[in-house]
Amino acid sequence: MNQIVKTQILHTDAPFRLESGDVLEHLDIAYETYGELNERRDNAILIEHALSGDAHAAFYHERDRKPGWWDSMIGPGKGFDTERFFIICTNVLGGCSGTTGPASIDPATGKPYALSFPPITIRDMAETQRVLLAQLGIERLKCIAGGSMGGMQTMQLFCDYPLQADSFICIASTMKHSAQQIAFNEVGRRAVMADPRWNGGNYYGEVSPEAGLSVARMIGHITYLSEKMMQEKFGRAKKDKDAKVIFRPSFEVEHYLDYQGISFVRRFDANSYLYITNAIDNFDLMGSLRSKDRARGEGRQRGTPLDALKSKRGLVVSFTSDWLYPPSQAKEIVRLFTGLNVRVSYAEIETDHGHDAFLTDFEYQTAIIQSFLDAPS
Amino acid sequence: MYKIPTQNYPIIRQWIAPGSRVLDLGCGDGTLLSSLIREKNVEGIGVEISQDMIVRCIQKGVSVYQADIDKDLSEWPDRSFDYVILNATLQAITKPYNAIEEMLRVGRHAIISVSNFGYLRNRIRILTQGRVSAHTRSSAHWYDSPVIRFVSIKEFETSLEEMGVEVMDAQFFLACNRVIGSRWPLYNLLAREGIFKIRRGSSE
Repeated sequence: MNQIVKTQILHTDAPFRLESGDVLEHLDIAYETYGELNERRDNAILIEHALSGDAHAAFYHERDRKPGWWDSMIGPGKGFDTERFFIICTNVLGGCSGTTGPASIDPATGKPYALSFPPITIRDMAETQRVLLAQLGIERLKCIAGGSMGGMQTMQLFCDYPLQADSFICIASTMKHSAQQIAFNEVGRRAVMADPRWNGGNYYGEVSPEAGLSVARMIGHITYLSEKMMQEKFGRAKKDKDAKVIFRPSFEVEHYLDYQGISFVRRFDANSYLYITNAIDNFDLMGSLRSKDRARGEGRQRGTPLDALKSKRGLVVSFTSDWLYPPSQAKEIVRLFTGLNVRVSYAEIETDHGHDAFLTDFEYQTAIIQSFLDAPS
Repeated sequence: MYKIPTQNYPIIRQWIAPGSRVLDLGCGDGTLLSSLIREKNVEGIGVEISQDMIVRCIQKGVSVYQADIDKDLSEWPDRSFDYVILNATLQAITKPYNAIEEMLRVGRHAIISVSNFGYLRNRIRILTQGRVSAHTRSSAHWYDSPVIRFVSIKEFETSLEEMGVEVMDAQFFLACNRVIGSRWPLYNLLAREGIFKIRRGSSE
């Protein structure tokens, strides 16, 4: 029996201040929850999604055939066991699946923000989740967990509010982008902006820059897979051997990327893609921990000394064939948190599935996450 | 089946100062580390290559890094630990000299146990049957054994000398788990295992 879930929206009218200094007068936060919050309100785990994810992490939406993006990890008896834990996932700020982003209506003009939407950061994303947690009455999280960009939010939130969470799990992520990673993202953004339909971000109500966005997604997908996996999956196989028309997709791998691009533009906003990849590129965990903004914290926990992290626990996971966020970057995370006296463990999972392994390789991930959540703290 | 030897745990516990920082290379399921954390209040980190062992360490609440001792020790900063332990693992290492050098760079002290290939029973077995016993190599077959380094206690001590390492303490296990602290005559024949507490020689 499939468990049905619905994305909920929290509307807030309290002004929300961003790291840039800009203020959003109104903020929507889309979220889903799985399992039950216990009486002591101490069994909550916050799940953070990656670049193209949304609040729908697990279970099924009514009439959907496919479950949420991390359903294999979240559910009864799974890695994040919904019979024991209360799992929360929110759509990120700047996203396009219910949370306020560039496609949302600007209350000042009655039109979509488009590029008048202020620049956002990974820390801003983390701050929106604090708004939701306050609303849900959750002061303390058992764990914060996420993969890829979700890992960035995880680390930011864990460090910014050292008293809030007991532990973190960071999978296939990095504490800052390298030049190569920024370069890939920039090519993706340029593809979007080079599409005439993008029109300086003003395409709402018209045809969106689908061609540009799908190219961006295709580039992304190449970095999510390993060379070996691509070779095994597609090789040089052709789908349409007798294709008469030149420069139409004929190799299997071309069709695959084509499909990934097309299915992405149906569900994702091009401006969201620009804002979010920009937030990822500018993310620098160590820099943000030293910044004045961390200390500011506006009377909240953010200014708490990092000493409070001492003896909390962390789990860092990487995949051997992930060349987008390679094990060497995961080890930097391990070193940083070891230096902060967090009790970190590190697992390097042997796989050919590249970066996407965090969404596909469940067996060992489940064993390791279960034992981490079970361990005596 | 291979059993994790635990008879030298009391010696290791004795050697380690309370509250110190300990790195355990080849920590297995984390039994030694969790006892050191419990009884000696150490800050401990294990290094293990096996995924199953990683899961078991995490279950115990022991911090563990999945890494290859032969490759990954260079990532640790100098002197980041008070003790680096290599227990029942030396015989499985490809580059033991490198590992020992790294241990003494990363830690102020190193503790290394050595299974003695010069032990009487091993000699008799070779002499009478012409075979290495399954016990010696921790496996029935030579080709799938984790033991790739066969070394006697005497050879190991010579190596430490060559490396300019100072032996601070050494204990030797005889049959029936009797432990001796001094080098009896014939100890290289009678001890099945030795355990050494070492540090960089003072001449350096």
